[in-house]
Amino acid sequence: MTAVAARYAEIKSLGAEVLAISVDSPYTHKAWQEGELSKMVPGGLPYPMLCDAGGRVGELYEVYDEEGGVDIRGRFLIDPEGAVQAIEVLAPAVGRNVVEMIRQIKACQYVQKTGEVTPSGWEPGKQSLKPETEMAGKVCEIWAPELA
Amino acid sequence: MVRVGKPAPDFEAKAYVNGEIKKIKLSDYRGQWVMLYFYPGDFTFV
Repeated sequence: MTAVAARYAEIKSLGAEVLAISVDSPYTHKAWQEGELSKMVPGGLPYPMLCDAGGRVGELYEVYDEEGGVDIRGRFLIDPEGAVQAIEVLAPAVGRNVVEMIRQIKACQYVQKTGEVTPSGWEPGKQSLKPETEMAGKVCEIWAPELA
Repeated sequence: MVRVGKPAPDFEAKAYVNGEIKKIKLSDYRGQWVMLYFYPGDFTFV
């Protein structure tokens, strides 16, 4: 979470906001921000920390673990129209990769803007592909795994 | 059901932001990209 905070300026520059959410109360979020997070990130996390009372939001997104009474580590990238564009769910003990999250935002934005597709490992500046019928069966002529 | 390409379910929740507690709706962010991330709990390690 602090790793996301450290890249927050870049995320905002992409026209994106971060919303973190757990079943904890707003007061617990406050205590964690003041007691610990602000020691890792000056001023604490710069983005909203939401309270998922009773796991209702987690249920909506199918990431609420009733047994543990907590939301599992699910991440949803939502576009400006309100549509889900990417989903990732990790085991509780495994942290996420903010660099990959940012890459996915950039790839989704590129795809929406150009109508092209981004191959494996695409980053801005790397080759994208125009989805045309003639390309079927010939991707091997213009793209190779080394480009990923 | 949450699916790629389908509308993200809207919701309203209390939030702690910049020292204040306020209500936030997902639909308040229409027009921006949103990275919504769930995590198991405060004071956890990762």
